[in-house]
Amino acid sequence: MTTDRTTTPATGPDETRFALSCDGITKAFQGVRAVNGATFDVPEGLVTALIGPNGAGKTTVVNILSGSMTCDSGTEHIGGTDVTNWPSYRIARLGLMRTFQLSRELGGLTVLENLLVAAPDQAGESMVNVFFRPSAVRRQERENVARALDILETYGLFHLRDNRASDLSGGQKKLLEISRAVMASPKVLLLDEPMAGVNPALIERIGGYILDLKAAGVTVLMIEHNLSVVERICDHVIVLAEGQTLATGKLSDLRENEEVVQAYLGEVIDASTHG
Amino acid sequence: MSNIWYYVFTLVFFLFDYFILAMGLNIQYGETGILNFAYIGFVAVGSYVTGALALPSSVGTGQHYILGLGLPFPVNLILGGLASCGLAVVVALISLRRLRTDYLAMVLISLSLVLYDICNNFVPLFNGADGLYNVPEPFAGVLKLTTNSFIPFFAAVTGVIAALLWWVMSRITRSPQGRTFRAIRDDEVVAAALGKDVFRNQLKSMLIGSFYAGVGGGLIIQFSGSFNPTAWLPGETFVVFAVLIVGGVGNNVGMLVGSLVVETLLIHLPAFLPAIPGHPGLIEYFDSVLIGILLMAMLWFRPQGIVPERVRRALSLGAPANLVAGRGEAPGSAPGRPVPVEIATADAQGEK
Amino acid sequence: MQLFWLSVGFGLVTASVLAISAVGLSLQFGITNYINFAYGDFMALGAFVTYVLNNEVLHWNIWVALVAGSLAIGVLAVILNRLILSPFARRFSKSFYVLIVTFGLSLVLLNIEYSIWGADVRFFQMPIDRALHIGPLLLTKYQLVVMAIAIVLMLGVHAMLKTTRLGKSMRAMSDNTTLAMTSGIDTKRITTITWFLSGTLAGLAGAVLGITEGNLTPASGELFLFVIFAAVIVGGVGSIYGAMAGAVLIGLATEISAAFINPAYKLDTAFVILILTLLVRPAGLFARPGKA
Repeated sequence: MTTDRTTTPATGPDETRFALSCDGITKAFQGVRAVNGATFDVPEGLVTALIGPNGAGKTTVVNILSGSMTCDSGTEHIGGTDVTNWPSYRIARLGLMRTFQLSRELGGLTVLENLLVAAPDQAGESMVNVFFRPSAVRRQERENVARALDILETYGLFHLRDNRASDLSGGQKKLLEISRAVMASPKVLLLDEPMAGVNPALIERIGGYILDLKAAGVTVLMIEHNLSVVERICDHVIVLAEGQTLATGKLSDLRENEEVVQAYLGEVIDASTHG
Repeated sequence: MSNIWYYVFTLVFFLFDYFILAMGLNIQYGETGILNFAYIGFVAVGSYVTGALALPSSVGTGQHYILGLGLPFPVNLILGGLASCGLAVVVALISLRRLRTDYLAMVLISLSLVLYDICNNFVPLFNGADGLYNVPEPFAGVLKLTTNSFIPFFAAVTGVIAALLWWVMSRITRSPQGRTFRAIRDDEVVAAALGKDVFRNQLKSMLIGSFYAGVGGGLIIQFSGSFNPTAWLPGETFVVFAVLIVGGVGNNVGMLVGSLVVETLLIHLPAFLPAIPGHPGLIEYFDSVLIGILLMAMLWFRPQGIVPERVRRALSLGAPANLVAGRGEAPGSAPGRPVPVEIATADAQGEK
Repeated sequence: MQLFWLSVGFGLVTASVLAISAVGLSLQFGITNYINFAYGDFMALGAFVTYVLNNEVLHWNIWVALVAGSLAIGVLAVILNRLILSPFARRFSKSFYVLIVTFGLSLVLLNIEYSIWGADVRFFQMPIDRALHIGPLLLTKYQLVVMAIAIVLMLGVHAMLKTTRLGKSMRAMSDNTTLAMTSGIDTKRITTITWFLSGTLAGLAGAVLGITEGNLTPASGELFLFVIFAAVIVGGVGSIYGAMAGAVLIGLATEISAAFINPAYKLDTAFVILILTLLVRPAGLFARPGKA
């Protein structure tokens, strides 16, 4: 299962490069296989959807890819680097950011501080700099604050900058999660159901933000149930079922795949229509 | 000097000393979320090492202890703080990885008791149950201080050290480093996902806090000239937590207020009351019951403490005023910039 | 060799006391998911109530006093849970708050005990009896009774968890409180019963600790609490059978080391085993998923 490949061979017709790929990922909880050999590539610079019925192991895959969880076997590559079972902070420093299905805001920090935490390579995180290079720390801090405020303005959270993150509404927390990840200037962004439980107007807005990110060159992998959203904003789809990759390709192609439609898409559509 | 001044300056000393101790526990628990139930053990290590370094070689003193280098005052105190940091490294390596809160609490409180047990029983280390005594009073020889004038003098020295340590601590808590600590406190998994090395930061926080614990402990032995195991039973950690909770977790000023209320008013002031005849210790027992009840009441009615954690606003973080002013200010007005959303939606439909 | 078997005998007695107390602590942890730092004071209170009923005014038979003392602590535990612990646990999701509250409760209980009984060591008036040879072991009648109590209780707890509806509900709640609640289990009732059982076992353990050691002070429960922690962590927090196994391991290890190294470092032996276990298996030897 664990073939050793430093870079994923380009299989697509147009020399697609892959930002992220995993091969034969397995993970068991108390003997139950949640992920059972998931293998797929995420094309660089595109928006890819990870779909599948409930219990297919989608969130577990995202947890493993982002390093929040270790896998039992299999390999993961980001760019050309083997990052299998790296701790999540090292994966994050390579430029992979993630959001969480249930928003996990840093509740005691303000909205602005939530973003500032995510700024990469902060001089002020070293005690030596704090005491002996205060001006450098201050200068960088000012730049980060300015950038964070810009991002907050983009994501419509500017007026909430000084509120504690725990006081935000559900939809605002979703936006905060995405803007926090954006603050880290990610190359790859994993979004775990960014549109779950938000109102239709906000779904439109979040969809817009994701396409903006794509335009800025960010590779996006998102778990999404709502097929109309997938159809509109995702270029590529990975179908996961029972912990395995069932099919990959364009949604329009997958719709013709009898197996996918009968076994899974039907269920996904059902699930999405029930909210 | 009359007795009353002796009491007053003793209270002042403990006010400043517990301010230092509480700041150390606050960086660990209040800022980083590490529930260090062995904290008093770190205080004790600082105290013993500071004392043993100030004492002359143990030969002929009638006491048994290691070190005995006769070092002058601030040097032994700093080394005492560093010794406490040494313990922090060991503790962090054993317990900070992969232990959930309750485990960590049980392991650390047990560790605190085991340290106590070893110091109490293993005489060659720090004189066993008798503890160290006759520790030289700093500067007493140089300044020709008497026992009476030493008390106010050293209370003032402690005040200066506390002020210095307060300044250092505010620099840390206001810096991006402090923000990273708080991020880890709020959610370790998120902090790691944002690229923060959680263990490394927790270790840093442990080291800073332990240094404060060690220095606070060292000042105790320098002030009273002696230190023995009865001073640091595991339950004493609870007193420092009480200072934190009453004062306000996550706020350095709160530590001073908490120290005043808990340490000065509730613990040391009643100790000066005359004992009830025939019932030795009864006042102390009632006092402890009162502290326990007060703490629970405080947690219920005002869990944020007397001085709650500050909200760090954009302007205080160094955002230029012109950057904040004049942007989508009015709260309640439709937030965000509407333009890219519509363009993006149009794009999305265009791709269909 | 004689010293070895003698220490094994002591070890089994300590293991019995540990098993009773560790199971009481573990049952409650499994259901409520936080450690009760006042558990040691529950133990000391149980010992004192037993002592008062047996020695001072009433002169009850020691075993009758023991049962009454244990049940009294069971009732006390239920009351304290209703009035203090459960409101805090419901209001604050962070376990820190309720941990500190149990700490505060411990301070209050300990100092109430000190106010009533003072700091002097008290002695159970036990008739001196001859030790009996059982195989290579040498045990007194009281030690044998304590061991028998422990074995019967462990079998009883096992039977309760495996066969009764109550036990099944408790196990379900311990695995997943929310799921248990949605599947119709009266979680409030189970919590109350658990606190009663935990308090009763604490009181009983405190009393038999006093009986086997012959003496008691208000602080004796708190000191023993750390040995219980070692047993519980070594066994795996929240696992009842782990707690039993940890009790036997820690009980034997501490007494054998006391005989061959130095009795002053009994506690340190327990701690060393605890640390070694954590380094090898951070969740304990019989870890339950989700509890570590």
